Parts: sequence; structure tokens; C-alpha cells
Amino acid sequence: MTDHVEDIEGAAPAAPSPSSGSGLDLIGLTKVFPGGTVAVDDVNLHVEHGEYVVLLGPSGCGKTTTLRMIGGHEFPSEGDIVLDGQSLVDLPPHKRPTTTVFQHFALFPHRSVLANVEFGLKMHGVGKEERRQRAFEALDMVGLTPLADRKPRALSGGQQQRVALARVLVTKPKALLLDEPLGDLDRLLQLRMRVELRNLQRQLGLMFIHVTHNQEEALSMADRIVVMNEARIQQVADPLTIATRPATELVARFMGDNNIIRGTVTEREGDRLVVEDEQQVRASVRAPEARQSVGDPAMISVRAAAVIVDPNGATASDLNTAECEIVFVEFLGDLVKLHLLTGGERMLAKVGAEAYPALRGREGERIRISWKEEDVQLLDA
Amino acid sequence: MSSSSTPDHLDEDAARLALEEVEEAEAVLAQRPQKAEAALGEGAGSGRSSGWVTAALAAPGLLWIGFYLIAPLVIIVLVSFWTFTDSGFERTWTLENYSELFNDSTYWDNMISTFVTSLIAVVACLVLGFPVAYFLALKVESLRIQIALFIIALAPFWTSFLTRAIAWTFPLMGREGALNQVLIKLGIIAEPIPEFGFSTLSVRLAMIQLYILFMITPLFFSLAQVDRHAIEAARDLGGNWWRTFREVILPQTMPGIVIGSIFIFVLTMGDYGTVATVGGGNITSVGTLIYSKIGAVQYPQGAASAVLLVIVLMVGVWVITRFSNLREEL
Repeated sequence: MTDHVEDIEGAAPAAPSPSSGSGLDLIGLTKVFPGGTVAVDDVNLHVEHGEYVVLLGPSGCGKTTTLRMIGGHEFPSEGDIVLDGQSLVDLPPHKRPTTTVFQHFALFPHRSVLANVEFGLKMHGVGKEERRQRAFEALDMVGLTPLADRKPRALSGGQQQRVALARVLVTKPKALLLDEPLGDLDRLLQLRMRVELRNLQRQLGLMFIHVTHNQEEALSMADRIVVMNEARIQQVADPLTIATRPATELVARFMGDNNIIRGTVTEREGDRLVVEDEQQVRASVRAPEARQSVGDPAMISVRAAAVIVDPNGATASDLNTAECEIVFVEFLGDLVKLHLLTGGERMLAKVGAEAYPALRGREGERIRISWKEEDVQLLDA
Repeated sequence: MSSSSTPDHLDEDAARLALEEVEEAEAVLAQRPQKAEAALGEGAGSGRSSGWVTAALAAPGLLWIGFYLIAPLVIIVLVSFWTFTDSGFERTWTLENYSELFNDSTYWDNMISTFVTSLIAVVACLVLGFPVAYFLALKVESLRIQIALFIIALAPFWTSFLTRAIAWTFPLMGREGALNQVLIKLGIIAEPIPEFGFSTLSVRLAMIQLYILFMITPLFFSLAQVDRHAIEAARDLGGNWWRTFREVILPQTMPGIVIGSIFIFVLTMGDYGTVATVGGGNITSVGTLIYSKIGAVQYPQGAASAVLLVIVLMVGVWVITRFSNLREEL
């Protein structure tokens, strides 16, 4: 468990602490579309320079609309967007110090790679010589100098992606906005571009705001993840917290592989609550913020990876444990997913591959699982 | 429960392993165009046995083109070199028809005035048609509304050509016609101007109205293919409306402009129906000239005039296609 924690921290250090006046602020940002659809509802967020923030959520959650408002491609119905003390709301896209990497790359098909990259500088009136030099620097950065004379259609997906990156980086924006930047790439390339993109961002020390619906992508790349659902922010936290301490049921469900237990508070001692569900599964949780008292409904989650499976033994206590029926043993190479049923509730446990020989073919048998109190998270409804 | 059981970790390892594979794949991808071309070249050179199949497949099309396009053209060219007689022509080779034509100032005056009319029509259709196509293709978001508006734009073409052409005689351009009425109402003129009717002006206006859809349609399809995100990207990278239009939208619309211009140019250069109807006999064009020669049974002279017109058209179309590499862009 512990090295798992370190791994995630190593991949994405905690966000820099906010300082006043510098960075990007979204203040009460709201977008209502003409039909009355509320796409973004009262979004408040501060992003520091040099921070990699991922807006994560299912499609239609408002993450892309939020990004488009920052870039100036949608106008907010209410609220403000402030970058380094300057409000951007009334500026058209071409006057904003932000640039966007659009979904599907949006390269100019009739221009060469070099001309694509030069475009922003040309629009800003940079002279031909300097333009060329800076464009080649940007192409060098993404390793595409040898293909400068190609047309975009003669490039592979990964190369087009890198042209799109070079094209925006060359204008030296204060904030880079990325709309599903890896969505068009095949899976292997996606994995590689995650690393490349994140390294590039570290080198440049630039603010990146990245929109995706892919949980893994968010966890592996972000300094901070903003989980959105139905136009609202659900939780803003570093990847480790999002993965291990989901704040709401929606976050717990969207991130996947969380066991959610709905029940009633049966005991409360200070910040320690005991929640019991209809199957008499009892779990204890420490939640200083909890408002519930005995008799109130409560919802908790336990990560599948935090579930401890003892194929043979039984636990003495009846707290933080459950007797289950094995529905399916799913072997995934270096881990095993156990699909379980306790009473009528489905549960999921993820254990290391070394447990597979002992679990293989035991569908239909009963097994006891348990978890630690510190791995239990109280959810907001 | 080791750390390797998390999906994140899986991916990092996979990424590292995949790296070489991806690079290889990219190298292959990068080479593909050349290889494809080489393969095509080989195929064309060595595919003797499959040549007959290709020929058989192409035969119906060739037959069709041969019968309806090549044969009439060849016959006209032949007739243009034959000798005119009172009863028609006899098959004696002569250059008489052409030398006569080259010294015929009426023919060349008409060629020039038809060309000017044609040029005006091309430019006017482009300038008037572009905003319509732009609005339809890029400003209307919903595909259903786009199609509905396009059909409405097509509405005038549901009526016959003759009806629309006649509208440009008395109803619109006559002494009591709409144009005179409007100008009087606006106080621009005091008395109706009778010269509007059956004039070069009315012929030119009529041509713009009659043919503009041949410009709007290819423009619309060209503009509809422009990636809206690329337009946003241009705005995002610092392009104002005009520069975005100039640098990103216009170049991608060139195929539509070229095709529309060819349509209008060819249709208006050869037009005689509009000229005859709207011009009412006062106005002539190369088309009406050829028509009257055929009417007077001067087939060889008529054929020679037609051949020269086709040559002018071919040169004109060639010049227009210089503005865009259609082979590459389409």
C-alpha cells in the first residue's frame, strides 16, 4: 500500500500554494446556453502559473465549455475570468494571452508544418527571419524539424499532435489550454504523449489546463484534478486524494473501483462513526467534518485496492469486514479483480497476482474480506 | 497488494515498452506516401494482363464521352474546315472560314463584350455569393436549418429558365418596371428611364441572378469542409476576423471558387438564351452570333465561330485553374 502512495506522489507533486494577484482565477463562472441548458454553474477555481490542472468529468459535464470560456471561444453568462489581475472576459480570443490545443488538432491543412507553427507569430506581426527561427526552435522542442516542409495530412497522429503543440508554444502563452489533447491518438501513443506532454510542461514551467474524460490520464498527469459533473465542480484535489479520498458519491463512482456502502449511522464517538447497511455490513470511519448523528443516513466508500482478502481465514471482529460470495475471479496479468456479492450488494476487491493460484476457480464459494478503518471515506451525498 | 496492481503503474511500464514499437510504427507511417507512389508506378508499368479488365471497365464511360462529347466536337471541327455553298457545304478543305472570321470585327467585338459580361458575372457571383455560402456553411450551426436554408436559396430554380429570364424584361427593367419605380420612389430619377429594358445592363443583371447558384453551391461545399476548429485555432493564435478569413478560410475555399468560376465563365460565354430573351434582339453575343449563322444555314462559318469560342473557353478555364491545385485539393 505504502509504495503505491509514493508512486502517485512521485508522478504528480502537490500544487504550489496560491499567492495573491498572480495566476488564473475563475470567479462564479456560469454559462447558460440559449436553450436554457446550464453548461457551467458557478465554477470557482484558482490556478497557479506552472501548475498542471486537469478538468475531469463525463461528457457534457461542462469541462470543455469552461475551457472554451477561458480561451474566449464561449462567452460566460455570469462570472469573471482573471489572469494576473486582468479580466479576460471582454477580450476576443486573439487578444487573450492564452492559446488552445484543440481536439482533433485543428491544423491548417493547406499549410506546411513550418507555416502552421509560424502562424501565431505572423499574426502577431513578428518579422520573417525571427518567425522562422522561433518556429524551428519550437519544432526542435517536439522533434519535428525534419518534417517542417510536410503538409499535415502526410503526418501520423502523434506527429500532428506535436505540430499542434509547437504551434501554440511558439506564441509563448501565459496559459495553455488543452481540449482532449490525447483523444485522437491510439492507446500506445496516448501513453507516450502523457509522459512527453508532462515533461514539456515541467521544462517550460507553464500553466497547463487540460480537459479529459479519462481518469487514468488525469491521475497520471495532473498536479491537481478538478472533477466536474453536471456543470458543477465536485472536488478539487491532488491525484492521490482524488484516487483515495473521493469527496462525493459522484467522484467515487466516476473514478471507478470504489465500493460504495449506503447505510445508517449506528454509533458516533467524537469523529468516529460506525455505518451499517441493510446487509449488516458494518464499517467505521473517522470524519471530523461529519454532520451525521446516530440514525442518520450515511454513505462511505472503500477502494477496491484497499480491500484485504484472506482466501482461507476468517476475521474475529464483525467491524470493517464482510462475508461475500465470489461471483467472478478476473485475472488481469499483474492483479486479480474479485467480483463479490454481499447480500444483494456487489463489491469489488483488487489483489496482487500472487493471490491468483489460491483464488482460481473458486467462483460460488464464500470468502471473508476486510479493510482498515483509515481506508474508509465518508462521502457527501 | 503491491504497487504494481494499480493501473497507473501498468501504464508507465507499458509506455516504456511501447516506445520503440510506436517509433517504428511512426517511421513506417512517415514512409507510406513514397511507398504507395512507388507501388502505383510499378502497377501501371507491369500490369499488362489486368490491362484488358481496366479497359473493359472504362469502356462504357469512354463510349459515352466519345459519343456525346468527342464525336460532336470532331464533327464541328471538320465542318469548320469545309467549304460553304449556297445549299450548305461541300467537303473541300479550306481555311476560308477562319480567315474570314479573323477579319470579322463584329465577331471579335462580340467576343470582347461577351467576355466582359462573363467577367462581370464571375466577379459579381463570387462577391454576392460568398457571403451567402459563408453564412450557410459557417454561421448556421444546425445541419437541418442549413439544408432548409439551402433549399430556400434554390427556390428560384424550381421555376423555368424562361420565366426567370422574362422577369428581366418588362416586369423588372421595363419603363413601368420595378427598377424604374424604385428609383423614382427613392427620388434618384424623376422620369422613368426606358433604356433599362432590353439593354446590356439588363442582360448582365439577369445573368448574375440566373447563374449565381452555380457559384454558391461549390462555395458552400468548400466552406462546409473547412474545419471550424481550425478557424477557432486561427482566432486563438492571434488572427483577427479579416486575417483569419484571408489566411485560413479563403485558401481552403479556393477549389470552390475555381469550380464556381469555371461554371459561370463557361455558361455565360456560351449563353445565347438569356441574351436573346432579355436582350430582345438589341443585344448580341458570341452565342447569338453562332446561332444566327446556323439559322442562316452558314454551317462552316458557324462551326468555325464555335471552334474559336471553345478555344477561348479552354484558355479561360486553364487560367482559372491556375489559382488552385484542384488535383491536390479535391
